Amino acid sequence: MSGEAADASTPDASAPLLDVTDVHTYYGESHILEGVSLSVDRGEAVALIGRNGVGKTTTLRSVLGLTPPREGTVRLAGEDVTGRPTNEVARRGVGWIPEERRVFSQLTVAENIRIAAPADADTQAALDRAYDTFPALGERPNANAGALSGGQQQMLAIARGLVGDNDLLLVDEPSEGLAPQIVADVAEALAAVAEETTILLVEQNLPLAMDLADRFYLLDNGQVVADGEATRGVTEDEEIRRYLSA
Amino acid sequence: MYPGLYHLAVTSPVGAEATALLPRVETMIAVFYFGLFAASFDFISGYTGYLSFGHATFYGAGAYLVVLAANGKLPLPYDTPFMLLIVLAGLLAVVLALVIGAVSFRLSGVYFAMITLGFSQVIYVFVRDWDFVSSSPRDGAAVVGPGGGEIPVFNVGVPGVDALNLAIGQLTGDTVEGLFGLLSLSAVGYDTFRYKLAAFAISGFFAGVAGALFAGFRRSVAPDNSLFFLVSGDALLASIIGGFGTLAGPIYGRLFDETVREFLSKEGAGGGLLPYLRGRLSEGTLATELFNGLTVREAIATFLNGHASLYLGLLFVAFVLFVPRGLLGTLRDRVGDTLAAAVSKRLR
Amino acid sequence: MSLAVPLVAFLDALGQFLRPSTLAEVILNGLSKAALYAMIAGGLTLIFGLMGVLNFAHGSLTMFGAYLGGLVLVLAVGQATGPLARVAYFFVAVVVVFGALAGLGGALEVGLIRPLYDRPPIYQILLTFGVTLVLDEAARIVVSFYGLQPISDWQAALGTKPGPLSASYEFAGVSVSGLALFEILVGAATVAAVWGFLTRTRYGLVVRAGSEDSEMTEALGIDVRRVFTTVFALGAGIAGVAGLLLAWDPVWGASVPLASETLLPAFVVVIIGGLGTFRGTVYAALLVGLVDASMTWWFVNAVDFSGLPQMTIFLILVLVLVVKPQGLFGVAEVGGH
Repeated sequence: MSGEAADASTPDASAPLLDVTDVHTYYGESHILEGVSLSVDRGEAVALIGRNGVGKTTTLRSVLGLTPPREGTVRLAGEDVTGRPTNEVARRGVGWIPEERRVFSQLTVAENIRIAAPADADTQAALDRAYDTFPALGERPNANAGALSGGQQQMLAIARGLVGDNDLLLVDEPSEGLAPQIVADVAEALAAVAEETTILLVEQNLPLAMDLADRFYLLDNGQVVADGEATRGVTEDEEIRRYLSA
Repeated sequence: MYPGLYHLAVTSPVGAEATALLPRVETMIAVFYFGLFAASFDFISGYTGYLSFGHATFYGAGAYLVVLAANGKLPLPYDTPFMLLIVLAGLLAVVLALVIGAVSFRLSGVYFAMITLGFSQVIYVFVRDWDFVSSSPRDGAAVVGPGGGEIPVFNVGVPGVDALNLAIGQLTGDTVEGLFGLLSLSAVGYDTFRYKLAAFAISGFFAGVAGALFAGFRRSVAPDNSLFFLVSGDALLASIIGGFGTLAGPIYGRLFDETVREFLSKEGAGGGLLPYLRGRLSEGTLATELFNGLTVREAIATFLNGHASLYLGLLFVAFVLFVPRGLLGTLRDRVGDTLAAAVSKRLR
Repeated sequence: MSLAVPLVAFLDALGQFLRPSTLAEVILNGLSKAALYAMIAGGLTLIFGLMGVLNFAHGSLTMFGAYLGGLVLVLAVGQATGPLARVAYFFVAVVVVFGALAGLGGALEVGLIRPLYDRPPIYQILLTFGVTLVLDEAARIVVSFYGLQPISDWQAALGTKPGPLSASYEFAGVSVSGLALFEILVGAATVAAVWGFLTRTRYGLVVRAGSEDSEMTEALGIDVRRVFTTVFALGAGIAGVAGLLLAWDPVWGASVPLASETLLPAFVVVIIGGLGTFRGTVYAALLVGLVDASMTWWFVNAVDFSGLPQMTIFLILVLVLVVKPQGLFGVAEVGGH
């Protein structure tokens, strides 16, 4: 460990919070990411857009080390974490709010929050923070998470990311499968979260993604094909729309 | 052809070593019928990944059919030709396989292994305590002939089993895959259920045949050496060492298994390590104390004789960890073909 | 006529079976069997629930526990040792056995099973099956070296049982053995301890979360692999303590075949309850224990077929797998990987 202290992979305040360079990731033999590079600065909200199956989720999984890249590097605040175990990456302040939410359905709401808080954290403070942000959760702390509605489960997944003391949240398809007025609630919650922390957001709902994000990257066939500032104008851009239509 | 070779080797100048190392003729026959059972287990478990942990049911059913028929307990003439009994044993196993398979193939993985295990244990317990089988069903039944009648003689002999196994040896991986291909073609659409069931029935048939041969040669059967779930475990052992999913591999695996067991057997009857060492080592060496009053002779008796399972188990674990394709599978990987095909190419 | 005789005999037996004192005895016996089953199967279900490994070596760990615990008792207990002291030594043995078996289990997980998590689950079954061969044969070597018969029960260990546990007690016409009561107590205490661990501690919370979704748990910053080792150790420790208890029970006794004798009921209980749910395993142990005790009564008193209890239990296993493969209390996705 001490040997690494001197090299280029020490934490560095000036480096981007997340820096992904030329990452190649495979599922078995199929080549999913073919050299993805992107970076997210501290305090930013960045959207990752693109059609289904172009590698958005895989990018998040590569950052977390759930599907480790075969080539390329992932740096957190300048520190190389490529291929580190997922739990280690997570403890360096990366939270995951995955597709389909993946709350622990057999655990209660409160237990889902307690387990997301760091082992040495004040459990009561974590619970208070989660219930303040999402009062609906505070009303049923002892219900099994599996019994919650889709929207409430999404709130719980976000709350888990929130209480984990994370610097960076990887948010995957938060609006998927939710009714429109629930999507508005989730969007509001995410906007509040974005005030406090850095977000890398994968989202199919383009207007929602552009409202939440400061910048965007457009992914196609495992590569970044465009990037820029996230504005409502992007949703009208002919070229981008071509990439997004099937 | 093995008996001839064995005789040649034992009477040769290295006769003592050969006696110690080579399995006896009787052991070789046991290798063949159990090898056939292990191959049938591998046919379903190695090729399809469905671990048939109750495979002993088919083996035991075949064995019990032969013994019960010979004792006149079945609606068959007690002197039905052995060849016919073998076929009937196979068919009985097919029926059982279809019934068990029809229910079990709705499950997969661990659950499949468990439901086949469940079925086989129901049958095991039932037969173990069923006094129709013999007066003490727990000890099994021997071929004694019907009350007052003549005791039937089964005449197949070594050549018969030999030929059967040569035939199995000819069934290379390609043949099996071809067969599997055919089965899946005949199945409608994505209905792999029927194709798995057909494979299970074929596998059951050969297991039943193997059980019939086993009972024919031993002239007796007991629940613990035919129907018990650990008998399936022995087939698994042979499959892993020989090569999971190679069909012929389990036969070699069983040969290896039996050879080691006999080499380390307690009595050392007809060869093995102990008589060999007794003959070679001087009394002084044998009586040498290793530590704390433990002599070399006692050490051999304690750690080697009759404890082949320990070393086979260690080997099994090592194979699972480091040689998951088994002896034959790894050889085939190296040669890039089935052995027979590779050899014939070389010779050409 | 020919049909009426067995029917009358059956109704007569049913009448006897349904007498309150008979039922009470059967239920007490059933509870003591259930306590044993829960202890035999509890560790197995924890291990399967978290890592999806069906541990074929579980029965061998129980057998090791029986011999090791028996050894502690044989060394500690003399002719003159009083009943209370014997029970106290039993709990000393619990600590020794739990520690030793947990160590062995942890070592097995780290050394042998860990390299296989990335392979298909069939390999973990194969590996633990091989471990069983090794452990059983090793036990056979050691046991015979000390002049004991590996296949028959270790009488010296049985002999350390305090007198009051061998006696029978009668309350209101219901007779029950001291051992059955002791087994119910120890079983209930074990279940309560494991339940408390799972629901009242942070580590237990992690185990339950990991059982449901180990990838998500890992992504919350928890080193799930390390939890695997702990749970394997815990499961092995419980198996060992179960073995210790069996060393005092003349129906079981410390012997090498105890490994397969306990493995099969453990599988049955775990599958019926739903692989990987501890709560399901406890309920299934109750069900199987009560069915076992009832069928044992029927065999002793009415049906001339000694395999009746065992066969009924395996039939329940098959039936549950046919009707509800994930078990009575299982969740479909647990263990589906």
